[in-house]
Amino acid sequence: MPDLHVLLKDSSGKKVLLLGNEAIARGILEAGIGVVTTYPGTPASEIGDSMSAIAAEAGLYMEYSVNEMVAVEVAAGAANSGVRALTAMKHVGLNVASDMVMTLAYTGVRSGYVIVTADDPECHSSQNEQDNRFYALLSNLPCLEPSNSQEAKDMTISAIEISEKLELPLLLRTTTRVSHTRGPVAYGKIKKSMLQGEFIRDVKRLVMVPANSRPKHEVLLKMFDKAKEISEASPYNRVIREGRGARLGVISSGSAYNYAIEAADLLGLDIGFLKLGMTHPLPEKMIGEFLKKHEKVIIVEELEPYLEMQIKAVAQNYVPTVEIYGKMGKQYFPREGEFSTRTVATGLAKITGRKVPVDFEKIDEEYAEIARSLPPRPPILCAGCPHRASFYVIRKVGGERAIYPTDIGCYALGIAPPLSIGDIMICMGASIGIAEGISRVTGKDNIAIIGDSTFFHAGIPGLINAVYNNHKVVVAVLDNLATAMTGHQPHPGTGVTGMHGSTERILIEKVAEGCGVKYVKVVDPFKIKEAAAVLKEALQQSGPSVVVFRAPCVLLASREKRRMGANVVPFRTAADKCTDCMACVRLLGCPALVVEDRKVRIDEILCAACGLCASVCPYNAIEGSCAE
Amino acid sequence: MKEFNVVLAGVGGQGTLLAAEILGTAAVNDGCNVRVGEIHGMAQRGGAVVSTLRMGEEVAAATVLEGQADVLLGFEPLETLRNLKYASQKTLVITSVDPIPPTFLTAKNMKYPSIKKIVEKIRLFTKKVILVEARRMAREAGSSVTQNIVLLGALAASEKLPFKPERLVEALRELVPAKHVEINVRAFGLGYDSVKKSEKRN
Repeated sequence: MPDLHVLLKDSSGKKVLLLGNEAIARGILEAGIGVVTTYPGTPASEIGDSMSAIAAEAGLYMEYSVNEMVAVEVAAGAANSGVRALTAMKHVGLNVASDMVMTLAYTGVRSGYVIVTADDPECHSSQNEQDNRFYALLSNLPCLEPSNSQEAKDMTISAIEISEKLELPLLLRTTTRVSHTRGPVAYGKIKKSMLQGEFIRDVKRLVMVPANSRPKHEVLLKMFDKAKEISEASPYNRVIREGRGARLGVISSGSAYNYAIEAADLLGLDIGFLKLGMTHPLPEKMIGEFLKKHEKVIIVEELEPYLEMQIKAVAQNYVPTVEIYGKMGKQYFPREGEFSTRTVATGLAKITGRKVPVDFEKIDEEYAEIARSLPPRPPILCAGCPHRASFYVIRKVGGERAIYPTDIGCYALGIAPPLSIGDIMICMGASIGIAEGISRVTGKDNIAIIGDSTFFHAGIPGLINAVYNNHKVVVAVLDNLATAMTGHQPHPGTGVTGMHGSTERILIEKVAEGCGVKYVKVVDPFKIKEAAAVLKEALQQSGPSVVVFRAPCVLLASREKRRMGANVVPFRTAADKCTDCMACVRLLGCPALVVEDRKVRIDEILCAACGLCASVCPYNAIEGSCAE
Repeated sequence: MKEFNVVLAGVGGQGTLLAAEILGTAAVNDGCNVRVGEIHGMAQRGGAVVSTLRMGEEVAAATVLEGQADVLLGFEPLETLRNLKYASQKTLVITSVDPIPPTFLTAKNMKYPSIKKIVEKIRLFTKKVILVEARRMAREAGSSVTQNIVLLGALAASEKLPFKPERLVEALRELVPAKHVEINVRAFGLGYDSVKKSEKRN
């Protein structure tokens, strides 16, 4: 990975190419934020990871919190003690943190506090594509929405300033295409973080018992009115173009704006553009004036008709005759998935009666010919991934009978054949509770699959519930000693902090025992006979049991081996013993097992020498020694 | 709108992200407006991955439209095919010839198509095709993981880029850890020379 110290450079006037998330990290430095908390999640992860790489040198504090709720709690504690703070999370993380956020809006904060929510239209790496601008509406908290890296940095600083002015937390909402697009960023000056805080006791302000909450709700609404004024004057809300003739106007925000402006150019449309960067509260007067100037106004936004609903309400007060086009009523733009310039151009063409100048349909047809014969290449578990061994063991023992609720992490890829483990998956930590419900009403064996980081994040209450209500479930914790899918961030089970310090390592088996689970065992998934025997025994328990499958993520293990100068010698098939029975291929689906001319070959580059294929080969025809 | 679009297609782990970042950094250092689109996370390892790069004063979005790539840089032959929707007559396709067979083929006991067949399919979209023996040259440079840089060298040699090839080498030196710079510069040179040589032959 490139050197993130580029984020620490002073403002030389030179522009730097930054990912949207890295630009937010730079914004953190320029805003003098002292405390950064996060739980990793795509597409937000690089905000925390950038800070983890430079926090010590930059002189601020960062942590990977155990989950998003705790991340907000820690930051809110700091921001209520006079230290500027920021918390970053993916969109669904805000569901976890929402209990805290909804009432933190009442207490407010003494120093600037920004909550970054990175939404994921198209579910590139998520279980849903919820539109978190509705959290702004729900909580009455102001929301900024950048379109590119430069704005991502600038808005981080503005968000802190507005937050302090209003004494409210602010939402900074990105989407995958903003967080994961690189663009040029002009630096401002780094502001030294103030780290030392002071807590001032103020029960009426900070203790949300009903008698205090009622007046604080009124304060929140007063602040909301002030926020409206800020929105009206905000440089992020502005008319980008005045259309000649002024019949047609577009209102847009975030990444949708990028497509909208390009689509208008593609169609050669001469139209007015109102770009909204502060999307809660909306600048009603500014929008009203824009509506008055146009006969037709087109709202271009990804996901829900968040702007459209509100703009239609504004129109009622300003100019009820204006025609508003979007995705309510007649759908000119889709409400699901990610936009592209093509999506927007198609919608704009329909509304304006223009023709899209590129014959996309023809390209689609020609491409469909090619696509038909293309073998798919979905993401898969890596060669040498310990989860493959765990799944092999779990399927061997549980077979078709058992039910396998699974969870959020790399191991969700276990649903792919031939491993085929994973029957229901909803959200972080849910596998355990769901298994309890299924087990209670079906009486069938249930093996809940959950990763190490996910176990700490939201699995523990479910486990306590299993003990308390005596649910007969097996919890298989797939412990690969990292939050692997999001980039190997540390977690409470690793003994390492976000500041790269060492800390108490919390063992999952001890937690399980502490929760009152009677049967708790740790196994090495690559020792398949022993692991299978333990799992069988776990299934025979009358109450809940926990089996920890522990082996490090192969990517981390290989990196470590290379660092130590060790050589990974790939396994080989012995031509005289291999009968081409294909058992290894059929059972494991490892990418290093390649079939050429009906013969199995082990790819020397991909093979991580885990030895799993050798242990399942019925003819002992795979040779090699496991990398230690 | 004047723009220059590159689509980089490959398999997770092949270094498409770094290649795109080197291109983007070279563009910014040259004073250009640029957007580099990436997808991280779930599809990181073993899955099909695509990065996009767009340069131009007015460029706002990172994604490239169907048929609008100036260059399709394929890190793996099947992935080159998978992204032909971005290609049209104006597109230059530069592709590695080294297959990484998807496990789907193994599971179904199917054959990986020949390079000849693959080139035939590319030619349905564009006649401008450059084949690069990326794996061989990367090994020759000293490490098979430098195939991405071999391909960048080939791209630089094609003279399609709106900035000088030296910009790419500068960006590479900026972004690659110091101890790996020499191998990578060598890989870049091998990719560059191979295209220049074949141009002379033709």
